[in-house]
Amino acid sequence: MKFKKQLFGFMDMLRFTKLVPNRRAALAAGADTPLPETWAVNEQARALHPGRMQVELTEVTPLTPRMAELVFRRVDGDAFPFFRAGQYVSLQGKVGDSVISRPYSIASSPRQALQNRLVLGVENAGFFSQYLTQEAKPGDRFVMTEPSGEFHYETLRDKKHIVGVAGGSGITPLLSMAQSALEGDEPYQMTLFYGARRAEDLAFRKELDALSEKGLKVIYVLSDEERPGYEHGFVSGELLSKYVPVQDVTYFLCGPKAMYEYLAGQMAPWHLPVKAVHKDATCCPSLSMDNPRTFTLTVHIRDKVFTVPAREDETLLTAMERAGIEAPNKCRAGGCGYCHSKWLGGDFQVAEGRDGRREADRKFGFVHPCVTYPLSDMELDVPPAE
Amino acid sequence: MKSQGKAYDVVVIGAGNGGLTAAIRVLQAGRSCLVLEKHNLPGGFATSFRRGRFEFEASLHELNDFGSPEEPGDIRTLFRELGVEDKIGWIRIPDAYHLITTDKQYDCEMPFGLQAFTDKMEELVPGSRPSVTAFFELCDEVRAAQTYSMEVNGHTDSEYMKKHFPNFLRAGSYSVNEVLDALKMPKKAQDILGAYWCYLGVDLDRMSFLHYGSMVIRYITRDAWMPKMRSHEISLALETRIRELGGDIWYHSPAAHILTDEAGAITGVSLTDGQVIPTHHVIANMAPHVVFGSMLDKKAVTPQITRATNARTFAGRGFSLFLGLNKSAEELGIKSHNYFIYDTADTVKQYNSMRRVDTNHVQATVCLNNAYPACSPEGTCMMYFTTLIMSDDWSRVSQSEYFKMKDRVADDMIRVFERETGCQIRDAIEEIAVASPTTYARYCGHPEGTIYGYETAGWDSLMPRMMMIAEDAALCPGLRFAGGFAMRSSGYSSAYVSGDLSGRQTVGDLKKEGR
Ligand SMILES: Cc1cc2nc3c(=O)[nH]c(=O)nc-3n(C[C@H](O)[C@H](O)[C@H](O)COP(=O)(O)OP(=O)(O)OC[C@H]3O[C@@H](n4cnc5c(N)ncnc54)[C@H](O)[C@@H]3O)c2cc1C
Ligand code: FES
Repeated sequence: MKFKKQLFGFMDMLRFTKLVPNRRAALAAGADTPLPETWAVNEQARALHPGRMQVELTEVTPLTPRMAELVFRRVDGDAFPFFRAGQYVSLQGKVGDSVISRPYSIASSPRQALQNRLVLGVENAGFFSQYLTQEAKPGDRFVMTEPSGEFHYETLRDKKHIVGVAGGSGITPLLSMAQSALEGDEPYQMTLFYGARRAEDLAFRKELDALSEKGLKVIYVLSDEERPGYEHGFVSGELLSKYVPVQDVTYFLCGPKAMYEYLAGQMAPWHLPVKAVHKDATCCPSLSMDNPRTFTLTVHIRDKVFTVPAREDETLLTAMERAGIEAPNKCRAGGCGYCHSKWLGGDFQVAEGRDGRREADRKFGFVHPCVTYPLSDMELDVPPAE
Repeated sequence: MKSQGKAYDVVVIGAGNGGLTAAIRVLQAGRSCLVLEKHNLPGGFATSFRRGRFEFEASLHELNDFGSPEEPGDIRTLFRELGVEDKIGWIRIPDAYHLITTDKQYDCEMPFGLQAFTDKMEELVPGSRPSVTAFFELCDEVRAAQTYSMEVNGHTDSEYMKKHFPNFLRAGSYSVNEVLDALKMPKKAQDILGAYWCYLGVDLDRMSFLHYGSMVIRYITRDAWMPKMRSHEISLALETRIRELGGDIWYHSPAAHILTDEAGAITGVSLTDGQVIPTHHVIANMAPHVVFGSMLDKKAVTPQITRATNARTFAGRGFSLFLGLNKSAEELGIKSHNYFIYDTADTVKQYNSMRRVDTNHVQATVCLNNAYPACSPEGTCMMYFTTLIMSDDWSRVSQSEYFKMKDRVADDMIRVFERETGCQIRDAIEEIAVASPTTYARYCGHPEGTIYGYETAGWDSLMPRMMMIAEDAALCPGLRFAGGFAMRSSGYSSAYVSGDLSGRQTVGDLKKEGR
C-alpha cells in the first residue's frame, strides 16, 4: 500500500515501542490504598433493590369481615426501600410442610416505607391468606421480596387525570397511589371508584375519608346495598361518565377477573387505546377439573435432584411448594419472569392468556412454572430461590 | 465450610457474553466447566424484557463485524466455531448510521460497505475521497496486524511487524484526531467518520487510532446483523450449547469468594450459602475491581494487583430509555434504524458535557422495526435510547428523587429526539421503561453502573492491553477475565472475543500444568 512515510515523524516507531512500558509504568503507579468494596451507586441499588428482606409483623387489624390489615417492619435494614406506588411485594412463609409465597400490593405509601412501615391489606381468599389473616401474630417473621411490578403511574405515558377502579381487596395499590400523589411524589390527580357488596365490606374507610378531605375524589359503589351518599350497582360505563371525562383520563383497574371482564365490555364503545387502561395482575389459579391425574415431576436444583408429585390441575410451582421445595417466584401471574426455569422434558400447557415468556424462551425450552400445568411426567432445571 | 461439591477444571463466574463464550471454549477442549450466574437468566446485559405487547431489546444495537454467511466477519466465524450460528435467526441491519448534530446541523445517513460509504462521503463532502480511502487502507493494515497479534497471543515478533505492518507501527501511537489531521481529511468528513466514537466511549483526542480504526473498518466493511428474538436468543443459544457440551450452569448462584491456599493459588469458589466448588481455574466475567476488591482471598491480593487495579478508570455509566409506541415507524416518520444524536461534532466538548447528567444530551437511538419490522405487533414500533454518563454524577440522586430523576432524563431524550428528527413520538407512548446507572449496578453488579468496562484512553488503550495479555494474567495465576472489563473492552463483539481468548488461554494453562 502507498501510505506515505512522511505523514508522521521519524520517532513514530519509538513511540510505538513505548506503549507497553508506558502502560506498565502507569499500572505500577496506581494507588496502593485498598480497593473499594462498594460504590455509592451500587449502595443506591442495594437500598432500592434489597432483594429478599427479613420482616416482622407488628400489627394485625381486621378491616372488614373478610380482610385484615397487616403492618410490617424490616428487621435486616433501617427501612423499606422507596418504591413506586401501585407495586407489590411477595410475602413468604411456611405453612405445615409447604413453603408458600404470595404477591400482595402495598397499601401504604412510599414515604411511609422510608419510615420502616409497610402495610398490606390481605383478603381471606386462599391457603396462605387465611393463615395470614387468622393465625399470624405480631412478632412473627417472614421473608418479603423487594417491591416490584409495573402497575404504577408513568409520568411520560399517562394522562394527568387518572381514574382508579377498585373491587374488593383491589383497593390496596390504589390507596397507595392516592396517598403518594397527596404526599407530592406523584404528579397526577385521581378519581377513585371503589366497589364492594355492602358498606361494611369497604376497607380502609378511615384512610380514604382522610384523603378525600385533602382532595382525593372517592365514589363508593355498593352492589348489594342502597345507601344515601353511595352509588348503587357496579362500576359501569355510565357511572364513570357521570364523574369523569372518560376519553381524557388513564384508568388503573384492580380487582377480580369478573370486574375486568365487565368493565372491558362497558368501555368497549369508547375505543380507548391500549395505553389508556392498566390492569393489575391476578395470581394464576388452579384449574377446575374432575379426577385430575397426578404425574411425577423431577426437579434439578444445582447439583441436587428431587422427585415430587405434580397434579394436572395445579401449576408446577405449586407442586414444588407442596413438596417443600423453595422455587423462585414473585408475581405468580406469568409476567415477571422470576420463576424462569429450564424445561428438560415432558408435556405441559400454559394457562390461557398468561404466557409471559420471551420469544426465545419458547424456542429454547424455558418455562414459567407459576403458569404451567403438567400434561405428563416432567423434568425441570430450577434455580434455587436465592 | 459446607459440602465440597464436584470439582471442575474451570469455574466461570458470570454468564454474560464473555462468560458464556469462555465456557464453550473450555468445554470444546474436553474440560469440565461450571458457570455460576447470580441472575435467573443467562446473558447479563444481553437479554430482553417484556412489557405489554412488546419484547424490548435490553442493550444490543447491532452485532458488528458479523458479516453475511458468504463473507463472514470475525464474529460470525466465532459463532460458527462455537456451534451457535445456526441456532439463531439472523436479520441484516440495513444501514450503518444516521448522524445528527445540533451545532453543525449534520443530518447524514451512512451506508454499509466501503465503496458505498466512501461514495456517500464524497457526495456529502466533495474532495474527501482520497483521505477517506487512505484512512480505510490504514485501517485495513491495523486489522491485519491485530489479527496477527491475536494469533500469536500477544507475543508479537517486532521484525515481522516492521516488515508486514510498517504503517501500523508508524501510526500506532497516535490518537484518532492526530491521524485524521495527518491524512488531511476535511473537517466535515472527520466529523462524520467520528460518529461511532460514543460506541467506544472515549473522545477522539484520547482514543487511540488503532482502536478506532480497527473497529470502524469492521463496522463498515462487514455488515451488522441482529438476532430476531433480541439478544436473549443469542444468550439462550450459547447456554443451550453449554448444556449440549456437558457443561453445568447454575442460576441464582452468585459466587461469594475465590478461595486460595497459603501460597495464594486458587483452590475453589464459594457460594453465598457456603457451598464450595473446588477448582484451580476461574474465568471472571466481572470487573477486576470487584474480583480483587471483595472476592479473591485477601492474602492473594498483592500490592501489585492493588496498584494495577486502582490505576484504571471506569468508562461510561449507562442510561437507557425503552419505548413501545402505538403507531408504526412509518406513521411516526422514523426512517432510520440507528441514530447518533450529538449536540456537537466536537467529541472532546461532547465528552465533557457527558460528565454531568444535566448537560448530557447525547443519544444513540434505535428503532428496531426499521431493521426487523416484525419485532413488534402490526401498527406499533419499538425504540430504545442510550447515553453514557462519563462520571459518577448519578450517585448524587437520593432514593426519594430517584424515579423523578429517571423521568427527567427520559423526558429530555424524547425532547431532543423530537426536536432533531421532527418525529413526534410522545403521544404514542404505550409502554415505557427506564434503566439508570443504578439499574445497571444492580443488574450486573458492575461498579457505579458502568456498562463500558475500563476506559480505553491514553496509556490503557487497546494495543498495549493486547500486547500485555500474558503479563496482566500473570498477576494472579489461575484467574482470567472475560467480558466488558477484560482486555478487549466492552461491546458485544469485544466481549465475545475476550471470552474466546480467555477460554482458550485457560485451556492452555491447564495443558501447561499437565492437568
Ligand atoms: C443499554 C446498553 C446498550 C448497549 N449497546 C450496545 C450495542 O449496541 N452494541 C454493543 O456491542 N454493545 C452494547 N452494549 C455493551 C454490551 O452490552 C456489553 O459490553 C457486553 O454485553 C458485556 O458483556 P460481558 O461479558 O461483560 O457481560 P455482562 O453483561 O457484564 O454480564 C456479567 C454477568 O456476570 C454476572 N455476575 C456478576 N457478579 C457475579 C457473581 N459474583 N457471581 C455470579 N455471577 C455474577 C452478572 O449477573 C452478569 O450476568 C450496551 C450495553 C448497554 C447496557
Ligand atoms: S413468578 Fe412471575 S412469572 Fe412466574
